[in-house]
Amino acid sequence: MSFERLPRIFRTASFGLAVAYAALFTASTIVLGTIVYWTVMDSLERQMSARIDAEVDLLREEFVAEGLLDLVREIHERADYFPALSYLVTDAEGKRLAGNLPSMPAHVGWTDIETEPASGGSVEQNLRVRTVLLGNGVRLAVADDLGPIEEIQQAFLSALGWGLAAFVILSLAGGILLSRAFLQRVGVITRTAEAIIGGDLHSRIPLRGTDDNLDRLSSTLNRMLDRIGDLMESLSQVSNDVAHALRTPLSRLRQKLEVAKTNVGDDRKTEHSIDAAIDETDTILDTFSALLRIAQIEAGTRQAGFRQLNLSATFDNVVDAYLAVAEEQGKALSAKIDPDLQYWGDRDLLTEMLANLLDNAIRHTPDGSNIEVTLADHGAGPVATVADSGPGIPLEEREQIFRRFYRLERSIAQHGNGLGLSLVAAVADLHEIELRLEDNAPGLRIRMQFRSAASGKDAAHAVRTDSQSKHRSSFGGLESSAVTPQAAGS
Amino acid sequence: MRILLIEDDAETAVYVVDRLKAGGHGADHTAEGRDGLRLALTGGYDALVVDRMLPGFDGLVIVKTLREAGRQTPVLFLTARGGIDDRVEGLDAGGDDYLTKPFAFSELMARLNALVRRPPLSQIKTTLRVADLEMDLLGRKVRRGAREIDLQPREFRLLEYLMRNADQVVTRTMLLEHVWEFHFDPKTKIVETHISRLRSKVDRGVERALIHTIRGAGYVIRAPS
Repeated sequence: MSFERLPRIFRTASFGLAVAYAALFTASTIVLGTIVYWTVMDSLERQMSARIDAEVDLLREEFVAEGLLDLVREIHERADYFPALSYLVTDAEGKRLAGNLPSMPAHVGWTDIETEPASGGSVEQNLRVRTVLLGNGVRLAVADDLGPIEEIQQAFLSALGWGLAAFVILSLAGGILLSRAFLQRVGVITRTAEAIIGGDLHSRIPLRGTDDNLDRLSSTLNRMLDRIGDLMESLSQVSNDVAHALRTPLSRLRQKLEVAKTNVGDDRKTEHSIDAAIDETDTILDTFSALLRIAQIEAGTRQAGFRQLNLSATFDNVVDAYLAVAEEQGKALSAKIDPDLQYWGDRDLLTEMLANLLDNAIRHTPDGSNIEVTLADHGAGPVATVADSGPGIPLEEREQIFRRFYRLERSIAQHGNGLGLSLVAAVADLHEIELRLEDNAPGLRIRMQFRSAASGKDAAHAVRTDSQSKHRSSFGGLESSAVTPQAAGS
Repeated sequence: MRILLIEDDAETAVYVVDRLKAGGHGADHTAEGRDGLRLALTGGYDALVVDRMLPGFDGLVIVKTLREAGRQTPVLFLTARGGIDDRVEGLDAGGDDYLTKPFAFSELMARLNALVRRPPLSQIKTTLRVADLEMDLLGRKVRRGAREIDLQPREFRLLEYLMRNADQVVTRTMLLEHVWEFHFDPKTKIVETHISRLRSKVDRGVERALIHTIRGAGYVIRAPS
């Protein structure tokens, strides 16, 4: 019979386990029973032999010391007073002299004989007999009843048999019951999965609250489903956003090409509108490559580019690049960067992160604003801040500014693709940097708490998963404006 | 210049080859990696333009093989990926520069010029000169005629890069990469701001300007003709 054709219940893991345990237990019980059986039987038979031997020795001494007549008399007495044992004495011709054994065994030594049912009794007896020659042809036989031993033997074997039978039945029945319970719970999981396949994405496996293996498995599966749900939601959000973000520049591109077409003939005008169309195309390409970069950074493969780097020098380099730009735009950029802070990370990406923050600060603050960059390490890992004295970000929007394409109402008119801070969040997440938006009163302060050196490069991967789950759970506390890339991105 | 283009995308290839030929350069093209490697080893080209993602073939193999064979032909990688790790990989393998697709032809041309005209390492100069502008690389001093020009370290690097590539157009991204080590495109006008400051120091009060803006392409420093 093929395995697949068994009823489903017999194929469950728990039923299989029950059968295996039953088989194992049965085998060990049989081995144990056999050993006990042989030991007990051997000991009982030994005791019987010893009793017969002692009796034979005693009677032999009687015969040697007192003679045949005394022996005969002694045996008569014993047959009357000690009915436990049976005796027989015969002379040289084999004539019965005394005793109650029905017959003398044919040869000397140990024999087992079966007696006819005694007159009046209906039970035949098995006897163990020792026969000895006492001298002058006189034979003595002493016998003991094997009945009690046989009774013990019977009782033992039937106890073992019934016990085993009961055990096998109980364990199979238990196995079936357990398997049925197990199957029911697996069935619930299967039905939930089927429901999700069928399109009910919000279906979850009900928990029994027992915290057993299946419950824990179910809860893990539920969390996995939640995570997948979040990711899918974020994915469809992103595709929506991409579509919206690209429609505007694409329609502007189309307008410019139409203008170019109407200008054909006027070389100067045509060139101008074609240049404008090329610029518009570049904007679209920039948006796409920014999206690709964010996706690639979020995929986390970039940790291959991690090196030991001088964080202070990296910051100095970026600030230096932006000093002139800030001044040109009428803003005062200053920096307080502690020298020679080392960090394990990707220099290019950290450069881009800080550059994006400075881009943002410069573009979204009014003339005369102050922008300050600091970097210091007070023991718990480097802490950097980029603070400006601009209009800041309303509390209720702080969690959203790291979202792709998210732009504050007032900055919609400004140039930009709304991806700069998403990239900042992606880089921060890759480096396990905790981003925090604080009120600079007035203005915005972005605080970056870098990983401390203690959790260095070796722990990087382990820490990453930890910090992600921590991030997720801390999301939702609106008062703490800690915004995590994960939460903000989804 | 004689350029070998190893690129499997026919449209890009035609575009690049046509523009190179129109500019008076020699250009050969193949779409196949092994073929490209053979041509690169035998063709005597001034520079190679190699796509990283050839069908069934990684462009890295070409540059690795070339370098193992002792050829120093400059190699510029084209990459259509997100382009994040490719730069490091390509440069590690022995590539000289990289460009992310899609690119403007002017960008490609500027980079090829910089690669081909790059002086050999044996000719390390200690002084750079363009007309009456003189840069002392050891003393970190710059003079325009008799006037000494005081430059910030970053402005010095910017001017040095322009002067090393004198008479050739250098693009914004080339400057960002070499002067600031920015491998991305900042939203603010970093290059423009610094160029304008540099210009005010170098060309201020002088009748004949040396630093020129090439519209839609980049910047060039050259002696007035």
